Amino acid sequence: MLVKDYMLQHPIMIEPHKRLADARALLVENEIYYLPVVGDGKRFLGMITPPRLAIPPERMASLDVWEISNYLANLTVEKVMLKARDLPTIGPHATLEEASQLMIKTKVGGLAVLEGPVVLGLITDNHLLVELSNLLGAFEPGWRVTVRIKGKRGDLLRLIRAVTDRDWTIMALGNVRTPKKPDDWDVVLKVVGCTREELVDAIAQLDGQVLRDIRETASYAYVKS
Amino acid sequence: MRRSEDIANRPVVKVENLGIAYETSAGDVLAVRDVSFEIFRGEALGIVGESGCGKSTVAFGMVNYLGRNGKIAHGSISFQGQSLVGRSPEELRRLRGDQIAMVYQDPMTSLNPVLRIGKQMAEVLMTHRGMAKEEARERCVTMLRKVNMPDPELVLQKYPHQISGGQQQRVVIAMAMLNNPALLVMDEPTTALDVTVEATVLDLVDDLRREFDTAIMFISHNLGVIARVCDRVAVMYAGEVVEIASVHELFANPRHPYTQGLIRCVPRLGRSKASSVLYPIPGRVPSPDNQPAGCTFEPRCDYAHESCRAKRIPLREFQPNHRVRCLFAEEIDASQWTPSEALIPLAQASPDSEPILEVDSLKTYYRQASSSALSLIGLAKPRYLKAVDDVSFSLPKGITLGVVGESGCGKSTLIKTIIGLEELSGGKIEFMGVDLGGKVNKRDMATIRELQMVFQNPNATMNPSYPIGRQLERPLRRFKIVPPSEIRAEVVRLLRAVKLDEHYYDRLPNQLSGGEKQRVGIARAFAGRPDLVLCDEPVSALDVSVQAAVLNLLAEIQQQQNTTLLMIAHDLSVVRFFSDMIAVMYLGQIVEIGPAEAIYAPPYHPYTESLLAAVPIPDPTVEQAHVRLSGNVPSPLDPPSGCRFHTRCPRRHLLPDDGKLCTTTVPPWQEAGDGHRIFCHIPLDQLRAFEPAVKMSQE
Repeated sequence: MLVKDYMLQHPIMIEPHKRLADARALLVENEIYYLPVVGDGKRFLGMITPPRLAIPPERMASLDVWEISNYLANLTVEKVMLKARDLPTIGPHATLEEASQLMIKTKVGGLAVLEGPVVLGLITDNHLLVELSNLLGAFEPGWRVTVRIKGKRGDLLRLIRAVTDRDWTIMALGNVRTPKKPDDWDVVLKVVGCTREELVDAIAQLDGQVLRDIRETASYAYVKS
Repeated sequence: MRRSEDIANRPVVKVENLGIAYETSAGDVLAVRDVSFEIFRGEALGIVGESGCGKSTVAFGMVNYLGRNGKIAHGSISFQGQSLVGRSPEELRRLRGDQIAMVYQDPMTSLNPVLRIGKQMAEVLMTHRGMAKEEARERCVTMLRKVNMPDPELVLQKYPHQISGGQQQRVVIAMAMLNNPALLVMDEPTTALDVTVEATVLDLVDDLRREFDTAIMFISHNLGVIARVCDRVAVMYAGEVVEIASVHELFANPRHPYTQGLIRCVPRLGRSKASSVLYPIPGRVPSPDNQPAGCTFEPRCDYAHESCRAKRIPLREFQPNHRVRCLFAEEIDASQWTPSEALIPLAQASPDSEPILEVDSLKTYYRQASSSALSLIGLAKPRYLKAVDDVSFSLPKGITLGVVGESGCGKSTLIKTIIGLEELSGGKIEFMGVDLGGKVNKRDMATIRELQMVFQNPNATMNPSYPIGRQLERPLRRFKIVPPSEIRAEVVRLLRAVKLDEHYYDRLPNQLSGGEKQRVGIARAFAGRPDLVLCDEPVSALDVSVQAAVLNLLAEIQQQQNTTLLMIAHDLSVVRFFSDMIAVMYLGQIVEIGPAEAIYAPPYHPYTESLLAAVPIPDPTVEQAHVRLSGNVPSPLDPPSGCRFHTRCPRRHLLPDDGKLCTTTVPPWQEAGDGHRIFCHIPLDQLRAFEPAVKMSQE
């Protein structure tokens, strides 16, 4: 899973000489949070985010209403944007894990995806959450089961075989070390092609594997023909 | 099931109530009125309509390429959330380079003929991205690979004229994609290409759209092309969008009478003139300065009502995501339509009659000049371009033989040789017992009269300064068809036969539309009551509605006069509809010949299969095999040994040793019955086992 395949291509962008009011309109009308600022040839110059639109009251305090209008009219994007040199960016061939690591480390929610100086796209925390959902099959109808297994060699394979040997289908699979019990793993499976009872029964037959949770997602109820 | 972020569902382009006007001495003329649509990322919106409907004007208007007298009169165009109207030329220039790219019909208009391809491609990256030369070059090679260009490094060294038309168009598309545009405007990008090349370019457009998430505005007059590549379609008529819907909805449930008319007048693959009728749309598109006050389509509409004339009709929502500009959209059902004039399917000709034309081992070679020293002193071995090589067929009286094949396969040379415009290099042509082998100026008047031709471009075959009547009189006088005193009456009869009235007698060619000119061309060809008429792409320059009328007319006159027709067309649906027999040509040779219905179902030659898999069909529910030909047609100067198609044949591997036999031995003619013959090494049983290239939906 590489950034280039999951980023937003052709994000809405703005040029540095545009008025800040135009940037605000773009953010509001399109309900977006990150607005890359680009120069000629889509070169990355900076980023506008909603907090950049906040003008400190003390800057306005000494201005009368006419001066405020004038001040706002002359306020361009380049004067308030976060400069490119201060922003973390990522390349299109980085993995999604690298992108999320970078976001966590730099405490930002969105990264411009650059190829050289040119903006190719944008990847945000929202994209990562959407892909986490996709990864766990959130939008696939089926049985979502969480099984706790020991981290022993072959345990995961036994679980998968318990499903596939019965000609049921695994639509999604994710596993993670159990919080506070790092020797165990929680495996989340999205299974279709069986009834709830059949699935519970199949997992119960696996030694050392514990069914932690089972629920129906996206209106899935398998009816045996 | 995948879910994407909401932003993906915002339009890249949103056009609202767009009006584009041209300033003329008589005031502003609105060429485009109240056009509204949006295109989302990764989506292809097709824009379809006859010539003069404003399709290209909308595309040009979006990037303000309207020329000095063109202007946006009203409405808005929003691109990536920002307005394009009122931007400075400099801003638009930058935007065009960075985020909007255009691909036009003729690739040579976008390529600089005096610069090598590598230089002009790299320039895009060096100018817009400030990339270093070497890096830009590498990027160009990568992009050329993405557009499936064979040997991209070599192509970069070449000048545009040194590569084929299909390759030129790929270069233009690659150039357009170099800057990763958010919007790609394609104006008839495949119209000038062969059907096989067109199919690969359309596949490419589809791939690029998915990979780069580019929004595509795809303009075409060809409903088949639109059905293949687009997600949604906007039908334009007289400067307005009259219907907009998803491609499946539009073809399955067209609601505007114009959309229904367009779909009815296109021949469907698999239909013949004996089983179906093409219904042309009567009348023509009104000019922008002379539009009706009410519905613009009302003068041509079968359902027109008093209320249609009262006021302009708004584009309204018929169903979610299906908008239509018609007051009676709910009541108009395409399946209940009855034609206003009775058109009945024509009888299928029977091929049992006596042959009128017999062609035996026909060869037309062009001697190639060489600049070598040996040739200067006359010692070099002469080289010949074998445009037609060993072609034999027999044409029974009253039959229509359709000839299909890619450009350069020799189909035009074949009919030019028969009519005498090219000299025969070998073989024999016998027409009604007369040998046509000699020079054309030695032919007697009767033979010339019996053998006439309809040309592709009616403009080029008419004297612009002679009135129509005079042009039609000429063959009558020359062939002494009627006594001089009856010539005028005969011209009027001919005009009526091609559905033109007497007023056309004194008109000049420039006062006629394209379809009317082609009717005059047909009248002139049939003036001498010939026995054989050779038609070289008679309808390919015409709009689909006019094409239907001209095809009906040709068929009608043919049946009245029991004329034999030999017709070349690149559109396989037209050929299938119109012909009783079909010959498929490849590199100067016929590779398959037989009754039309037999050619369109297995067993067929692998080349025919590729042509059928490539033909764009105006029905998104039709499934086509994905058989694509790689490479170009080899040079007829040095045709491949054995089977000439072996260098591109996708089925060669069916034979032992990966088809080694095909490379060494000339294939045999295999008889598939009923006069259907296939020039291929693959046994008939295997050819029969091919999956049909086109699976039509059940009706």
